Amino acid sequence: MSETVQSPIDSTHRSGQRPMIALEGVSKTYPKQSKPAVAELNLQVPEGAIVTLIGPSGCGKTTILKMMNRLIEPTTGRILLAGEDVTDVNADQLRRRIGYVIQQVGLFPHLTIGDNIAVVPKMLGWDKRRVTSRVDELLHLVGMEPDDFRDRYPRQLSGGQQQRVGVARGLAADPPVMLMDEPFGAIDPITRERLQDEFLEVQRQVAKTICFVTHDLSEAVKLGDRIAVFAARGRLAQYDTPSEVLAHPADDFVTEFVGSGAAVRRLSLLEISRLELEEIVISGARAAGQDHPVLSVDGAGHPSTWQHVPGSDQPPALVTVPLSGTVYDAVDVMLDRRAPVVVVVDDDGLPRGALRWETLVADLRTKGQPR
Amino acid sequence: MGSYLRYLSENSTELIFYAQQHFLLVGYSVGLASVISLALALVLHTNQLTPPSWRRSLRVGGRETSLLLASAALTIPSLALFGILQPLLGLGVTPSIVALTLYGIYPVLRNTLAGLSSVDPAVLEAARGVGMGPVRRMLRVQLPLAWPVIMSGIRVAVLIVISIAVVAAIINGPGFGKPLQDGLARLGAVNSFNEVITGTLGCLVVAAGYEIVFVVVRRLTTPRGLRV
Repeated sequence: MSETVQSPIDSTHRSGQRPMIALEGVSKTYPKQSKPAVAELNLQVPEGAIVTLIGPSGCGKTTILKMMNRLIEPTTGRILLAGEDVTDVNADQLRRRIGYVIQQVGLFPHLTIGDNIAVVPKMLGWDKRRVTSRVDELLHLVGMEPDDFRDRYPRQLSGGQQQRVGVARGLAADPPVMLMDEPFGAIDPITRERLQDEFLEVQRQVAKTICFVTHDLSEAVKLGDRIAVFAARGRLAQYDTPSEVLAHPADDFVTEFVGSGAAVRRLSLLEISRLELEEIVISGARAAGQDHPVLSVDGAGHPSTWQHVPGSDQPPALVTVPLSGTVYDAVDVMLDRRAPVVVVVDDDGLPRGALRWETLVADLRTKGQPR
Repeated sequence: MGSYLRYLSENSTELIFYAQQHFLLVGYSVGLASVISLALALVLHTNQLTPPSWRRSLRVGGRETSLLLASAALTIPSLALFGILQPLLGLGVTPSIVALTLYGIYPVLRNTLAGLSSVDPAVLEAARGVGMGPVRRMLRVQLPLAWPVIMSGIRVAVLIVISIAVVAAIINGPGFGKPLQDGLARLGAVNSFNEVITGTLGCLVVAAGYEIVFVVVRRLTTPRGLRV
């Protein structure tokens, strides 16, 4: 997770952060319907952040997303893009400045992958050489070898590859803003996980302002710097960081929506490096009545076996987790290996401390400010 | 058999001329029908002149109306249609082309509309989302994707019009209708049966010629990404 966005709703007090997208009193009433699909919505998306829009089906989250690039025209209200009122500018030109990625991908089947990505740059009148180098750059960025893929056609690609191209097409003209409507929704879970990781990696490099519609809470938590939880009729029930939404749901609706798994999901937001770990004694210095677990190490200093763990007669199997992992990973290996204690190792494989099941259940102490 | 071959060789200049006439008559008629159908379909789909709230109903209404009229035209007996057009447009090539164009519209229009609406909505949404306007969306995305379906409509129109074209002979129209009708009128006389056979086989030859044209055109105009 990036550290840039931590503050709740009021984004203006953070230095250098202005809202990239702002919706002001936006409503949408579809023709021949008495009640609005979205009513009087105010939402500010800070620059460089990923905001995930989540909510039950029919809550209007896709409508809200599509109003940002005016695929759906709002009935009332204003849309500001980087401070500029875009409610009445030419919609086609506006959309060329905003990346757009949809669940069904929608690649143009009669164009090559390269031409698909080049659509917006060509419309913007880039010269040929610039377009070609941009296409290659983007294919690299999404992990596809340009020489292999540039001249292929969409039907020759797998679903995951197609969506990578979809993301590349959205990024093609280097727009400051990306709108993504459940882009990984139709992809199998394993590929989806990988695409999410790649997506975060890409975002680290491009630092776009991204609005991301999803109905999958894990995805919202994983990708979002902030989560906007919507209730029926586009009511913004809570707009906050993932850990805040999970730890302190704003109302009953959010509580119910976040559901019973909230505590477990929160574990995946907590990095082990933020915990105060239990001290480990390296063997050789063993004394009777030792309070700390004792570990024997091999020649390189890597942990080999437990000598002694307080509170258990038989030392458990040795299990390690990386310091860069999350508490969720630690719990996962503990359950998997039936180990009540794990050794946390750093990048070099050296032991940095221990993490015990009892501590997880009782009281987790973190260093400094909790997230 | 031998006498028929002699007939063919003796009249070869005339028969080649009929074949050319027939081929061109069908080409002009179906060409005109295609232009009319495509223009109609494109205007209905890309229309930006009317208020947005009308567009959908206008498109649906326009589609149904034009299909209804075109199919009504196709049901008029060909003999009658040529007769009706004669007082208005006289004899010869003009009324023949007009009548055959009317017959060609329905298959082309039907397939054009079907092809355009068969384009994946996700592709059209993506086209809108990247900032393509209605005209660009039509020319760059919708039309190329619908093209194979439109082509097969044109091909059906050609086959229909080739056989109807022989009726044009009653108003002095060009093509294989002339030997066919001459032969039928004097059935039993010298060479009359040869003329009837020639008119019929001539249509098949013209149809075969068009099949070759279509193979080439399809090869050249179908986007590579759509070839199976």
